[in-house]
Amino acid sequence: MKMNTDKNWLKNMAEREDGCFVSVGGLVESLEQKEQASNVIPMKPAFVRFVELARRERSLSLEQFAEKVDVDLVELVKIETEASYKPAIRTVHRIAEFLKVPQKKLLALAGLLQMKDPEFQTAALRFAARSAPVEKLSMQEHSDLEEIVKLLCEQ
Amino acid sequence: MRTSVLLLHRASGEPVEGELFDEVTVEHFLEAQREWRPIVLDAAKRLVEAGAAKEEIPRHWHWDWSSKESDLRVLAYGFVGIAYEGRLQGLMKLETAGRSGRIAAQKGKPLVYVDYLETAPWNIKQIASVLGAKPKFGAIGTRLIEAAVRRSLEEGFKGRLGLHSLSSSERFYLDVCGMTAVGKDPAKQSLLWCEFTPEQAEKFLAGGTA
Repeated sequence: MKMNTDKNWLKNMAEREDGCFVSVGGLVESLEQKEQASNVIPMKPAFVRFVELARRERSLSLEQFAEKVDVDLVELVKIETEASYKPAIRTVHRIAEFLKVPQKKLLALAGLLQMKDPEFQTAALRFAARSAPVEKLSMQEHSDLEEIVKLLCEQ
Repeated sequence: MRTSVLLLHRASGEPVEGELFDEVTVEHFLEAQREWRPIVLDAAKRLVEAGAAKEEIPRHWHWDWSSKESDLRVLAYGFVGIAYEGRLQGLMKLETAGRSGRIAAQKGKPLVYVDYLETAPWNIKQIASVLGAKPKFGAIGTRLIEAAVRRSLEEGFKGRLGLHSLSSSERFYLDVCGMTAVGKDPAKQSLLWCEFTPEQAEKFLAGGTA
């Protein structure tokens, strides 16, 4: 990037800028964003479940899916396993392209775009909520649970 | 990208060489938070106590650049900083995807959006004077907007630029930069949407505004 090197231009602009506030963004905006953030329905779990189900439906391993979609395997693993992970825009674009779904909605699902569509948000939330398992615990899981409860209850 | 940029040293009235860069890291955010915020907050308090007019009181006292750390990984965002002798003088966040013009003739055409822009408080006349000092460097805001326009050119957006100006900053964007006031945006707390057409951006770069 080559910047203007004209000293007269600089002096002229500095003189005109003198005494001006130049801030962009600000108090009103920040407060509004905070308020919106507290009301935002979390969409990310729906994105994670969608990617996982779409992959499994095609009987693809994580590695095979990453290769077909042309995304980094590490990123795909993070998407499916790290709840707080924010995927790259390019990755979401590639996934949308591969799965033939609208990019904009998938970006919203991935938490990279805010969408003012309560119906879409609620439907996504319901979809994500259905991923919560309800099967009975296996013997091993039951034993693990007892162990951690015991640990938590120890004085 | 790192490039030299001339800034106006207020005390001597002469240009000095600073550095403009886009490799902004979380360290820069923390620096802004640590060094700028207490000064802005102090100045805002003193101005309120002194009964200063609303337009004279900095409205960005609460900003938290460090909260923008996660944005560093988003490809559609770009950051630009200006430093002099290693000390941060200005910081800006840009969005380079998903934004388009609102002026009738530019409708739907892509532009670079300035999401946040701030200069170090010691470069703002009102803040420096309330703290008994003179501003250190001039034209930091101009340089950041120049960088945003050049980024727009690099992206193939022909210099088109858009931003939501705080009411206290409107004079700078309209009168000094020569942007068009498109209208208050109800979707953005009624802040004024300001926009550069390619022609206005070119004029700004050439110094023929106002």
